[in-house]
Amino acid sequence: MREEIKGNWSEIEIRNVSKYFARVVANKDVNFTIRKGEVLALLGENGAGKSTIMKILYGLYQADEGSILFDGKEERIANPKDAMKFGIGMIQQHFSLVYAHTVTENVILGAMRGVIPYAKAKEEVESLASRYGFDVDADALVGDLDVGVQQKVEIIKALFKQTTLLIMDEPTAVLTPQEADQLMEFVRQFVADGHAVVFITHKMKEVMEVADRIIVMRDGRISGDLRKEDTNEAELSRLMIGRDIVAPAKVDFEGSDHERSGLVVKNLSLAQGKVKLLDDISFHLRPGEVLGIAGVSGNGQEELCETICGIRAFDSGSVVLDGVDLSELSLRERIEQGVGYVPVDRHRDAMIGSMSLAENIYLKFSTDGDWNRRGLIDTNNLRQKTLESIEDFDIRAPGPDAPAGNLSGGNQQKLILSREMRLAKKLLILNQPTRGLDLGAINNIHSTVLKARAEGLPVLLISTELSEIFALSDRIAVMYKGRFMGIFSPRELNTEHIGLLMAGIVPDDMSHVAGEEIRAEVV
Amino acid sequence: MNVAVGILARALTMSTPLLYGSLSEVVAERSGMMVTAIEGIFLIGAWGGFVGTYLWGSALYGILLAMGLGMVIAAIYAFVTVTMRQHQVVTGTALNILVAGLCTYFQRVLFGIPTSPLKIDRLPQLPVPLLSEIPVLGEVFFNQNILTYIMYAIIPIIYFVLYRTSAGLAIRSTGENPVASDVAGINVNFVRYATVLFSGLMGGVAGAFYSIGFLGMFTAGIIGGRGWIAFAICFLGNWHPFGAVVGTLVFGLAESISIYMQSLGSAGFLPNEFFIALPYILTIVLTVSRRSFKVPAKLGIPYVKEGG
Repeated sequence: MREEIKGNWSEIEIRNVSKYFARVVANKDVNFTIRKGEVLALLGENGAGKSTIMKILYGLYQADEGSILFDGKEERIANPKDAMKFGIGMIQQHFSLVYAHTVTENVILGAMRGVIPYAKAKEEVESLASRYGFDVDADALVGDLDVGVQQKVEIIKALFKQTTLLIMDEPTAVLTPQEADQLMEFVRQFVADGHAVVFITHKMKEVMEVADRIIVMRDGRISGDLRKEDTNEAELSRLMIGRDIVAPAKVDFEGSDHERSGLVVKNLSLAQGKVKLLDDISFHLRPGEVLGIAGVSGNGQEELCETICGIRAFDSGSVVLDGVDLSELSLRERIEQGVGYVPVDRHRDAMIGSMSLAENIYLKFSTDGDWNRRGLIDTNNLRQKTLESIEDFDIRAPGPDAPAGNLSGGNQQKLILSREMRLAKKLLILNQPTRGLDLGAINNIHSTVLKARAEGLPVLLISTELSEIFALSDRIAVMYKGRFMGIFSPRELNTEHIGLLMAGIVPDDMSHVAGEEIRAEVV
Repeated sequence: MNVAVGILARALTMSTPLLYGSLSEVVAERSGMMVTAIEGIFLIGAWGGFVGTYLWGSALYGILLAMGLGMVIAAIYAFVTVTMRQHQVVTGTALNILVAGLCTYFQRVLFGIPTSPLKIDRLPQLPVPLLSEIPVLGEVFFNQNILTYIMYAIIPIIYFVLYRTSAGLAIRSTGENPVASDVAGINVNFVRYATVLFSGLMGGVAGAFYSIGFLGMFTAGIIGGRGWIAFAICFLGNWHPFGAVVGTLVFGLAESISIYMQSLGSAGFLPNEFFIALPYILTIVLTVSRRSFKVPAKLGIPYVKEGG
C-alpha cells in the first residue's frame, strides 16, 4: 500500500521564518516563494543558512518563528512524513542511505505500508531509473555502488514517493564534472515535467548553469532574490560574500634545492581482500612543490595519506622521505621526522572538541622534550606557543583555554593547520583542508599552503575541489580506484580532461601523456 | 534409542525459552537496541510466571503477569536508553541487579520463608493427535508443551515481518542508519521503543517457561545466566532469525545432555560439574571462534537528531 500524496500545489511561500540554535541565528526573517516549473538556486557560503531553511521545509527542523504556506494556506510540517505528504523530497548533502540494503529496499523505505510486494517494487524502481536514463541495478547493495550512483538512488527514492518538489543539498560535491552535467540534465527534465527543484549550492558556476531564479543567503538572511537573466556572477559573489576577497597569488615552481630529496614513493600498494585500495602508486614530490591529487573522494586518497603518515601499513612498495625509509618507522617516529598531516575529518582524526586549544596542540608534542619540564607539561611554554598559533594563523578564539569544539569549523581547521605546520619540518600532507569552510578561511588556508611551499616544504594536497587543485598545485595527479591516472602539469589539463580521468577514462588526446611521466620521473 | 529420543525432545524443550529470548533480541538489535536487560527480564518473567500461577491458579495468568512485568522492565530500559540516551550496557546491568533484588524481596514479602519450596503445576505436555504418533519425530516435536508449539509459529512470523514487510524494513534500516529512517519519515525512537517492548514481552514468556514449564517453582538462581545465553545466541546467529534458531538448538541440546548426565549421578565419564557448565563453556567457545559478524552498523548507539 502507498501513502496518498497531496502534491498538487502550485507555489510554496516561506514567510518570515527564523530559526535559532542556542546562541546562533541560523535563519532570520527568511521570505521567498518556490514555484512549480522552476529551478530555484539557494546560493550562499557554508553556514549561510541554506540547508537550515530547507530542513525546516522538509520537517527535519522546526522554525522558531514564521510560517509555510501552500497556495496561500498555512500548513504545519512537523516531520518529514508531513513534508512527503505535500510531495516534498530532500536529498541530504550526506546521503541517508542504508549501505547494507539493496537499492530497492532503500527506495521503498518509509514509502509503503504492510507487506511489501518486492517484485512489483523492483519493477517500479527499474522503470523510474530507465525513464530518467539512470543506470542503476535494483538488486545491488547500495554500499557497493559509486557515490555518483548512490546519488541516483537518492533521486529514485524521491521520485518513488511522487515528489513534486525535489530539494538537493550540494548535490555536485561528490560528482565528477561529467556526472554533474548529467545531474543538471535530469534537473531540467524534471522541472520541464511541471515539478519544482531547489538546488542548494555555494558554486556560482552551477547557479548560472541550472537556475531560473536565485536566492542568495548570507549569515542566515536573504541578501538577494533575482532572476538569472537579471544578474551576473560578480553581483552574486558580492551578495554572497558581502566583501571583496582577493585570492592569494602563486609564483611558478622553479625547481628546488638539491640538499633534500623530498618524498619518493615507489610502487605503493595496499589491498583489502580483493579490493585494491592503493594500486602501484609512484611519484616524487620535491621540496618546495605542491602535488595536487584530484579525484572523487573514496578512491584511495585517505589510504595514501595514512600509509605515508604511518596510520596504516601498506602491502608493498617504498616510502622514502629525504633519504629515510619511513616504512621502518613507527607513527610517532614519523611525526618526529617532521611529517605534518591534516586529515579529512578533523572531528574524527585530528582534534578533541571538549579539550582546550592548548591541549589539542600539545597532543602531538607530548613526547617532545621542549614541551615538557621534569616529566610534566610545561604549561607556561604551552600557553605561549598556543598564543603564537592564535596570532600567526588568525584563529578567532576566546583564548588558549577555550574548548576547541566551540570554535567555528574554519577556526578549528586553522588550529589544526597551525599544529601540523609547527610539526612539518620535512613534509606536509593535507586531505581536503578547506572542505566545508567559508571563503575567508579558505583563503587563509591557501595562503598558509603557499607559504609552506615558498619555505621549501613538499606539500601533498588532496582535494575534490578542482579550483583548489588548480590554484595551488605545481603538478596534478588524478586518482581513481587506488590508481594514479597520471601526473600532469596544470597547463596540459582542462576540467573536461580531469573529469574523464576522475571517472577512470583516459581522454583520447592525452593517452600519450598519462602514465609515461610517472615512470620517466621516478627512475 | 529411547535415551536419544528423550535427549532430543528435552533439547527442543530447553531451546524454547532461549528462542523466545534470542529471536526478540534479534528484532531489537536489528533496530539498534541491545537489550542488555534481558537477564533481568527473564528473571522477572520467571517470578511473574510463578506468582501469577500460584496466586490465581492458572498458568495463563502466570504467563500474562510475566509478559506484563517483562514489558515494564523493557519500558524502563527503553526510557533510559532511548529517551534519556544513556549507555545501554550500563543501564541493562543496573536493571539486572535491580530485578534480582526485587524478585527476592517480593518473594519474601508475599510468601515469607517457607520450610519447603512452594510448588506449582508445570505446563502439561500436549501430545498432538496423529502427529505425535510418528516414530521418533512425533515424540521429539509433537509431545511438547503449548509454549513450544507457539514457538514453531513465531519463527516464520518473525522472519516474515523482518524481511517481507515495511515494518521489518523500517526496523532493519533503523539499526543500520537511523538518519535514513528519520529522513524517510519513520520515527526512530518509536521503532526502538516498539522492538524493546516486544523483547520485554517475549523475554517475560521465556522467563515464565523456566518456572512454569520446567521447574514448577521459583528460586532466585532460576535463570542462572540463560538470558545472557539468549543474548549471545543473537550474536552467534549473525542477527538473523534462522541463525538464532540454529544457535538455540545447539544450546538446547547442550542443556539437555547436561540434564541427562546429571540424572545419571556420578556414573558419567566426566564430572557432573562439567556438564552443568557445558552451555556456558559453549557460549564462550562459540563467541570467541566466530570470525565475521554482520553487526547492525548503529547497534547500541542512541539516536540524536541534529539541530531540531
